[in-house]
Amino acid sequence: VSDSVTVEVVDADAALAEAQAVEASEPRQAFLRRAVIGGGAVVAGGILVGGLPRLTASAAPSAQQDVRILNFAALLEYLQAAFFTEAVAKGALSGETLHFAQVVGKHERAHVNLFEKTLGSKIRKKPTFDFADTTADPARFRSTAVLLEDLAVAAYDGQAALLTKPTLMVAAQIVSVESRHAAWARAMVGKEPAPRAYDPPATRAQVTAVVQRSGFVTSA
Amino acid sequence: MSDELTIEGIDESATVAEAHDLVMRTHTRGGLLRTVALGGAGAALGTGVAAALPSVARAATKNDIAILNFALTLEYPAAAFFTEAERNGALSGDTATVARVVGAHERAHVRALQQALGKQAVKKGNYNFGDATENQQKFQQSALWFENISVGYIKGQAPLIDSAAVLVVALGLHSVEARHASWIRRVMGLVPAPHAFDAPISKQSAVAQFRSRGFLAVEPQMVARRTSPKVTG
Repeated sequence: VSDSVTVEVVDADAALAEAQAVEASEPRQAFLRRAVIGGGAVVAGGILVGGLPRLTASAAPSAQQDVRILNFAALLEYLQAAFFTEAVAKGALSGETLHFAQVVGKHERAHVNLFEKTLGSKIRKKPTFDFADTTADPARFRSTAVLLEDLAVAAYDGQAALLTKPTLMVAAQIVSVESRHAAWARAMVGKEPAPRAYDPPATRAQVTAVVQRSGFVTSA
Repeated sequence: MSDELTIEGIDESATVAEAHDLVMRTHTRGGLLRTVALGGAGAALGTGVAAALPSVARAATKNDIAILNFALTLEYPAAAFFTEAERNGALSGDTATVARVVGAHERAHVRALQQALGKQAVKKGNYNFGDATENQQKFQQSALWFENISVGYIKGQAPLIDSAAVLVVALGLHSVEARHASWIRRVMGLVPAPHAFDAPISKQSAVAQFRSRGFLAVEPQMVARRTSPKVTG
């Protein structure tokens, strides 16, 4: 894919190996509970910061790179859209939680539509998902929503500088909406909506490790 | 196996990598614990931002300096507004919490931008918020206005920023301002995230909105000073 091997690739493998090791010894529900306890700390706390890769590669923004990054973001948008849509469909939510799922689900589906339109035939295959009982239990739904929204914010913030300017303009209109979702989800579970003065970005490897550990993606 | 689960290709640039490293170093658990011990989460966060921005700005172009300076022009009154509201002590419940937490963040942003810009930082203006820092409802409306204008402005400027490192930091502030706006809307009983996409605000529009709000007692410099070189010889 690339003409130079980077330290990040090596570190990403290490991060994934670590993720698999943890996954092997820890049931998925336990991981989700633990991840969720951290809330935004999924990004700033042990999981992501603990495994911060050394980044030394260099890649100037290009149309090809935009496609790779948008397809990475598309995975997160597909994941979110499917999660909120399924949660509403299952009918276990009520009150503000249901309203949240409806509104955010609509937004995430709009984001997916935009990616499908923008990428056209270059879009990744739509994955399949297994959310287990996180879409059927209101408390688990809320805490998983916090995880997914905080993760999306960090993912977009981490990729933005790698995009060409026109694509960045589009991504910037999405990331602040994900931030609003994250704050809303956090407020519902009694966490500080804005836990830091600065949202730290996450690398692609870090985000991928969390997605993998969640076990939500069952096919690509 | 998904191709997302095996990282392929290169997706990080050196500049972004440096910014990541810089930012993340300030968020290591040791660093956080030390600063939290000194003065709570607010202090830790302030330190984090302040530590992250200055090195970034050293590499900033004239254009980036102007962009950061206008961001500071917006952060000054925002910080003053939330700080005054907290000091007045007239707010209650979640609204008082908003004033305290958001105020700490905005002060951290001001300090960080001042340090980043050094001598090139614009000066703080004089503001008159009337009773917007005492009246619960007026406070909420103005607080939301401050946050949305910051979100829109940074978003509009993001594609214009030259340095990747400055961009990463700007976006880190951008999403926090969006979190604030969402929080305030929820406290007001509004839908926290009203749209699927957030539109940018041009600088001209931000300037116009800022002036028409009437909070300015004395007009500050709205943009980075552009002085002609002085002939000293």
